[in-house]
Amino acid sequence: MATVRTSNTISLPLASRLTTAVVSLLLGVFIIYGVGLSHSETLHDTAHDTRHSYGFPCH
Amino acid sequence: MLVKYLLATIIAGLFAGIILTPAMYVKNVPLILHAEEYESAGGGGHSHDTPASASESAPAAVTPHEHAEEAGPELPFGRLGNTLLINLVAGAGFALITGAAALFLGRRITLQNGIYWGLAGFFIFNFAPAFSLAPELPAMPAADLAMRQTWWLITVILTAGGVYLIVLREQIWAKLLGVILIVAPHIYGAPEAEDLTSAVPPTLASEFAVSALATNLFFWVVLGTALGWAIQNYASSELEQ
Repeated sequence: MATVRTSNTISLPLASRLTTAVVSLLLGVFIIYGVGLSHSETLHDTAHDTRHSYGFPCH
Repeated sequence: MLVKYLLATIIAGLFAGIILTPAMYVKNVPLILHAEEYESAGGGGHSHDTPASASESAPAAVTPHEHAEEAGPELPFGRLGNTLLINLVAGAGFALITGAAALFLGRRITLQNGIYWGLAGFFIFNFAPAFSLAPELPAMPAADLAMRQTWWLITVILTAGGVYLIVLREQIWAKLLGVILIVAPHIYGAPEAEDLTSAVPPTLASEFAVSALATNLFFWVVLGTALGWAIQNYASSELEQ
């Protein structure tokens, strides 16, 4: 098989991508917690249909 | 900090969130609205667009819900506006988590393999939890919320680990362990309601579970592909050494 030009791996060493990965993960987890799991009533009521639709435990 | 990479993932997430909204409105939201009619009929529960029903009907104690409230304190953009807003935010959130996973693993999400990242996300965040804890409608009987949330979160984390071990590790022990991680929360079992009597007709509930999963599958396929496209077009220069 001919080698595909777009590689599936990143050549950048882990040290150079770690900060971004951690920031991205924390931000993402924070957002998903707020959208899907937070018990804040405002967040719950605003996100209501999305929570049900995504299958997050709701109510 | 790989700023372009972060921006590319967020853009892909917002895009998938926009696309998700009309898809959600085709079936899921009408079913939710339909179920809420039973919710207010059963007394209490939380009402969003019918502020009078909760306070006037029977005491909240008979409902499976913990919070009987009047008009909800949701943000003032209307039901569609709120859902669109949350879908945008959620899309960005799932995109950031997926992008972070790819960075940790040293893998590149491309236009070609994006759909597989999307399918993995669907499996981890939607399919696996739904296997024991089906997407539920308002007014359906359910176990304690905190317990279900804990089970959901643990299942997502274990499934993510399992998918990693099965897909990206060669060793046979890793693949076996991956299967165990994915199956374990279902053998343990999700928290179940003690009384399954429901005001919501079962047909409605099953219809919703299927339509929710179908919508989420669509969302993740769009998200994975959009991630591959955005990263390839805007962030590939950052990922070269």
